[in-house]
Amino acid sequence: MKINKQTKALLILITVLIVACLASLFIGSVWVSPSENTGSTIIWEIRMPRVVLSALVGVLLATSGVILQGILRNPLADPYILGVSSGAGIGAAIALALPFGFVILGISSIPLFAFIFALIAVTVVYRLAHVKGRAAPETLILAGVAVAAFASAVLSLIIIVSGRLQAIYFWLLGSLSLSSWNDVWNLLPYTIFGLAVAYFFSKELNALLLGEEIALTLGVEVEKIRIGLILVASLMTAAAVSVSGLIGFVGLIIPHFVRIIIGPNHRWLVPFSALGGAVLLVVADTLARTLFSPMEVPIGVIMSLVGAPFFLYILRTRTQGGRR
Amino acid sequence: MKNEDALVVRNLICGYGDKEIIKSISFFIKRGEFIGIVGANGCGKTTLLRALIGLLPIQDGVIEIYGNNIDQMSRKELSRKVALVPQMMEPVRGFTVSEMIMLGRTPYFERFSFETEDDHNVKRWVIKELKMEDMADVPVTNLSGGEFQRVAIARALAQEPRLMLLDEPISHLDIRYQVKILKLLRKIRQTRTVIATFHDLNMAARFCQRLILMKNGNIIAAGKPDEVLSRENIWKAYRIKAEVRTNPKTKHAKLVLLP
Repeated sequence: MKINKQTKALLILITVLIVACLASLFIGSVWVSPSENTGSTIIWEIRMPRVVLSALVGVLLATSGVILQGILRNPLADPYILGVSSGAGIGAAIALALPFGFVILGISSIPLFAFIFALIAVTVVYRLAHVKGRAAPETLILAGVAVAAFASAVLSLIIIVSGRLQAIYFWLLGSLSLSSWNDVWNLLPYTIFGLAVAYFFSKELNALLLGEEIALTLGVEVEKIRIGLILVASLMTAAAVSVSGLIGFVGLIIPHFVRIIIGPNHRWLVPFSALGGAVLLVVADTLARTLFSPMEVPIGVIMSLVGAPFFLYILRTRTQGGRR
Repeated sequence: MKNEDALVVRNLICGYGDKEIIKSISFFIKRGEFIGIVGANGCGKTTLLRALIGLLPIQDGVIEIYGNNIDQMSRKELSRKVALVPQMMEPVRGFTVSEMIMLGRTPYFERFSFETEDDHNVKRWVIKELKMEDMADVPVTNLSGGEFQRVAIARALAQEPRLMLLDEPISHLDIRYQVKILKLLRKIRQTRTVIATFHDLNMAARFCQRLILMKNGNIIAAGKPDEVLSRENIWKAYRIKAEVRTNPKTKHAKLVLLP
């Protein structure tokens, strides 16, 4: 009975995603009807990859948020708030500023650098926040804020020194305006891998809802799983950041709503959040393209305009006798 | 190794970091016993329970559960043999009683699959065994402390452990739920071994078959409740003057404080 209800909700969400994608395809600074020739080029070569890419970025960021929240036992964790995105940003900016790019083991320099620096950021935050093996949720957030602030200063330095202000700055604000099918194919493996890991480790994430010690007594190798899943979440964030720049709060907003609607069971939280993240970013990117058309607003700006007040709202309800 | 031993502890030393909390203790527990561990605050009761379920590294000595050294077992193997009901467990917001109990099946989940029919059968059996049919779909955050404690025990029972450890299972409950939980534990011990820590000596004496009295990380007395709860032992462990009487109806040891 229970399964049915959730499967039904899943089908509804998939339908919403498809509708959002279709709508996004036809809405834009040039209104196209699918029958025209130029119209079909615009749709297939420009808008379609952009819509798919924004959906993938949404999946990556939302899933990464679910993983971080579960593993850190903190509903405020999000790759952007914890400074993981900013770390990835530094890495990607360095790779962009380098006069040459390269490919190692099939991974090009931008996501590779983004991943390495995302890991450094998350390690620093984790170490800073843990005092005697425990991290208060608020300490973790503060550590994240500090690291993000530091990272943004470093980013500014890189931008100024590299002399490629325009290119890096616009990428940094979060934008999907230069999407191509190539980006989609690059991002797809990370998305599938990360989603699969999150889904199959949802059992461990569920056990962690009872606390680290009880999870241990349920046979969960907490420390190994924590390191492994933080690696995966950082990889997903890095992949997203390297194509779309810094887009915040997706990983915070989406899992929060999914939890209210479908409950805290990660077996459902993971797929629902992934789909929800996709819907949110498809819609947000459509708004980014059309709100001040023909000018484009960076999608990162839109997400922060919505996300930051939302973050404060959650913080407030939590401290007012909400759950800890 | 004797076949009927559920738990053997030999010269166990453990603690936090360099600090020794448990100082070389030895005891054994037979299958199907309900053992109470008692002693003053900070005597090492909780530390001992944590060591028995592998939450603390053993500094020296051996712990064997049904003949297996726990140092040589993986977490997963151990979690199928021993379950812990902690002193305080937070109800997970958004979970029903039934979902909470299902978390106890985690040790049996395979990497690429979810709950099997087997897991659902065990869950249904636990719900029936604990007479929780009415509350199976109730959100755990709606339960009273006593009801939630039963859910916490049900969750541990779903692990199908041979050995159940409970850390102060009745400390924060009213007397009605205290009796309810203790009767439940007495029933559970018919099929598995139960070890629980207690502050209430009279309740422990009434329901446990044997008591282990601890002080400063040592065992100062162990045996039948009326043997352990002597005037001298109570003085040694708690620095309290008390007289031990016998409950005329039940013949259980009963502590009466002296002025």
